[in-house]
Amino acid sequence: MSENREQIDLAATSEGLREEPGAMVIPPEAGLMGRLVDRVAYIFAAGIVISAAVLLMEVFLRYIFNRPTIWAHETTVFLCGLAFTFGGLYCTARNSHIRVVLIYDWLSPPVRRIFDILISIICAIASGFFAYAAWHMVTRAVWTPAGDIRLETTGSAWNPPTPALTKLFIFVVMILLVAQFLIFAVNYARRARS
Amino acid sequence: QEYSFKFQSSDPAGNPNFEFQKGWTELVAERSNGAIEIELLPTGSVVEYNETLDAVAAGILDGQICDSSYWAGKDPAFGLISNPVGAWSAPEQMIDFVENGGGKELMQELLGSYGLHFIGVSTPGLEAFVSRVPLDGVDDLQGVKVRTPEGPIANVFAAAGASPVNLPSAEVYTSLDKGVVDAADYSVFSVNQQQGMNDIAPHPVYPGFHSLPLVEVSMNQAKWDALPDDMKTLLEETVKEFQQTQLQGNREADEAAVEEAKAGGKITVHDWSDEERAKFRALGQAEWEKIASESPMAQKVYDQLTAYLNEKGLLAQ
Amino acid sequence: MWDLSFNLQALGIEAGTLVMFAMLVGLLLTGMPLAFVTLLVALIFALGWFGPMAIPLITSRVYSFVMNFVFVSVPMFVLMAAILDRSGIARDLFDAMKLFAGRVRGSVAIQTVFVSVILAAMSGIIGGEIVLLGLLALPQMLRLGYDRSLAIGVVCAGGSLGTMIPPSIVLIIYGLTANVSIGALFTASFLPGFMLAMFYCAYILARAYLTPGAVPDVDPTPVPREEKLRLLKGLALPMLVVVMVLGSIYGGIASVTEASAIGVGGVILSTILRGEFSYSLLRGAAMQTLATVGMIVWIGIGATAIVGVYNLMGGVDFVSELITGISDNPTVIVLVMMAILFFLGAFLDWVGIALLTMPIFVPIITDLGMDPVWFGVLFCMNMQVSFLSPPFGPAAFYLKSVAPPDISLGVIFRSLLPFICLQILAVALLIMFPGITGR
Ligand code: NA
Ligand code: NA
Repeated sequence: MSENREQIDLAATSEGLREEPGAMVIPPEAGLMGRLVDRVAYIFAAGIVISAAVLLMEVFLRYIFNRPTIWAHETTVFLCGLAFTFGGLYCTARNSHIRVVLIYDWLSPPVRRIFDILISIICAIASGFFAYAAWHMVTRAVWTPAGDIRLETTGSAWNPPTPALTKLFIFVVMILLVAQFLIFAVNYARRARS
Repeated sequence: QEYSFKFQSSDPAGNPNFEFQKGWTELVAERSNGAIEIELLPTGSVVEYNETLDAVAAGILDGQICDSSYWAGKDPAFGLISNPVGAWSAPEQMIDFVENGGGKELMQELLGSYGLHFIGVSTPGLEAFVSRVPLDGVDDLQGVKVRTPEGPIANVFAAAGASPVNLPSAEVYTSLDKGVVDAADYSVFSVNQQQGMNDIAPHPVYPGFHSLPLVEVSMNQAKWDALPDDMKTLLEETVKEFQQTQLQGNREADEAAVEEAKAGGKITVHDWSDEERAKFRALGQAEWEKIASESPMAQKVYDQLTAYLNEKGLLAQ
Repeated sequence: MWDLSFNLQALGIEAGTLVMFAMLVGLLLTGMPLAFVTLLVALIFALGWFGPMAIPLITSRVYSFVMNFVFVSVPMFVLMAAILDRSGIARDLFDAMKLFAGRVRGSVAIQTVFVSVILAAMSGIIGGEIVLLGLLALPQMLRLGYDRSLAIGVVCAGGSLGTMIPPSIVLIIYGLTANVSIGALFTASFLPGFMLAMFYCAYILARAYLTPGAVPDVDPTPVPREEKLRLLKGLALPMLVVVMVLGSIYGGIASVTEASAIGVGGVILSTILRGEFSYSLLRGAAMQTLATVGMIVWIGIGATAIVGVYNLMGGVDFVSELITGISDNPTVIVLVMMAILFFLGAFLDWVGIALLTMPIFVPIITDLGMDPVWFGVLFCMNMQVSFLSPPFGPAAFYLKSVAPPDISLGVIFRSLLPFICLQILAVALLIMFPGITGR
């Protein structure tokens, strides 16, 4: 019992678990796309840090100089919104989305492979539906009913086109999710055969 | 029933404005002898408040009751027609413009292009302004941190010398309580009073000088077209009744709440003089032209609005 | 446009609800990523109940969810946690906390509850807080030899206090929905929130003294003076950050969400003062933040998708059918409401529950002559349970997103059971003694 706890403790302390930044674990089944997603993720992670800086600046300008900006909050929401959306793809590539493995862990490895393949295919199909739905959303946000290009804005005093850009980005991420899940399915199938 | 519709409101369930809207759906059921049943969903039920236009257009929802300024991001014309800061000093003026002054046709043209039909207009009335600091005129706004909602109204406050702060409605209470902002656009006086806004910001300006929202009742065009003519008339007429009930009800509730606030002794209700209101409206009117230049429909709204105001002699103040 | 051979609408809302919840549990058990389980169920019901034209409501909700300003504080708290985790601040803090132990067993766990209460005063939502405690307090408690399930429970239950102690987004949304004073709700919730925290402390003490091995033994060797001073230094920087964040909120300098960014600034400043700051530290922390919020936010995305679809299906009707004509006895009605909230709390997140139940419950409560502010606090307390209760227990998911791999969701949920019991006890006390809210 005490030995068992010792092991857990080691695994649980931050020292025991530390991964080197940049060397984050991308499973081999994620393929080239997974590695690309991992690379690009840096931009969105930076967006979170920039958001913090922008908010700090806003508080500073408002409290000290009584000069709040009209763009700080909308910029923050946009940057975090992109990070949230991309985060879903990033976790998919890392295969780190939370799952309940109560039954899964108890399955034999070959059955598990079949589960992996099926789950990946089903998630790809679902993401495909969402890409279709997101496309509907994009058409309303990017074009006027008359067919002219008009990026939907927030309607605020600053009025940035962030709603249209975010909707476009959700559409792109949904398509990338389809691709990433299919890559997983194919690679799981390959592994299962060999 | 023969027709069953789902409408989404931009108000939360317990809000008095939601109750009035619910009253409209009950009136519709009663007058149509149950032929039309409208289920009214509170804000955020199916989609977020600023996404209902798309949801109605797509046929996910059948209709909506909401502030038209939420669609300013699709066309600035929505922002101008729904809250031309400085145009109205009483709800009746705005309603007359919409119903008899060409506003209805503009709303239909705007909404129609998105696949919606404009049924009618209502409004909660002149909103009261919530403030921690005494405000008796435009000059008092100098340097005051004001929480403003979406829309060009922020520019008007900036022109008045205030510092507009962009905050979501969920953060208004805590920010006002602690003094992150000095003043805020929130709701009508009675709602502000019930939600305790006047307790933390004891210098409300009533009646407000800043906002008179145009609340649209609209529905999916195809579903509207499928209705027989008598049902269409019924919907239009009941909206007018609901609009009067809401205005009257809110006015009475506001007056009672003002009495309550005054009797409590801790809240000072400020009322601006006509000159000060005119000053703020002049600042608002300066914004119109800017908005008009942003889209062809906004220009059209601008022309119609100024023509109406000139005809009624309301612009010269 | 497509002929879909299944029509779920034929089920009706009662059977539809049961099928939906059964499908949720069934798919969860396959090992499918949780976020995609909820998204898939939402998709199946959108398609099967309404047809393909309804699917855009899901992406619309995804859009609104990711563009919500209130959620900006989640990545801020996670970033704070990730930076703290990479510096020695957390270790020094917990070493210093040992000094305040005296001869009390389990004192670090109790102090963690106090840290949670302080964090709760800084934030109105829970995701970031649990991640913060999960990255800092959990490994430290395990390092010091605390029982794993006790440590897990303290982190999840303590982190959930964020919505029970003001500021709280749950109470704000309730206030807007029920049209009651948010200030009154905040005042009324403080004591019940503190009471719940005290229950946790009492439970820790009970475990510490009654179950051998639950907490480490008290070290009898006295700490020398110089060592004490050195350890106390570990408190300085965390205190500085706390003062900055709380000061900015209660001093009217920043809004609650902005204050979370001030926390990030304070933590970065602390690492600079300790000479630990580096580009790679910040980069690593930011990458970890992205990975963590990706998990957390997508769980929320799935949950919000289900809520939209279920509301369109007429979920409110289902709830109102459950409650109408049930009894004339106010106590029975309130108990039935609580039972419904517990049930929904197992499957849905609190925003969905509020949307489904408040339009029905609040008018009934006011008609019965009961206090809607008290009921708001009761609702908020009930949502504490919903954060922990399986199968959809957000607090467990948030902790899982940063917990070591050998701590499975099963382990977490089992650890939460006693804490759920304490929360239910608090709900019961609030019903029996409404005076706890001070009203
Ligand atoms: Na809190
Ligand atoms: Na739960």
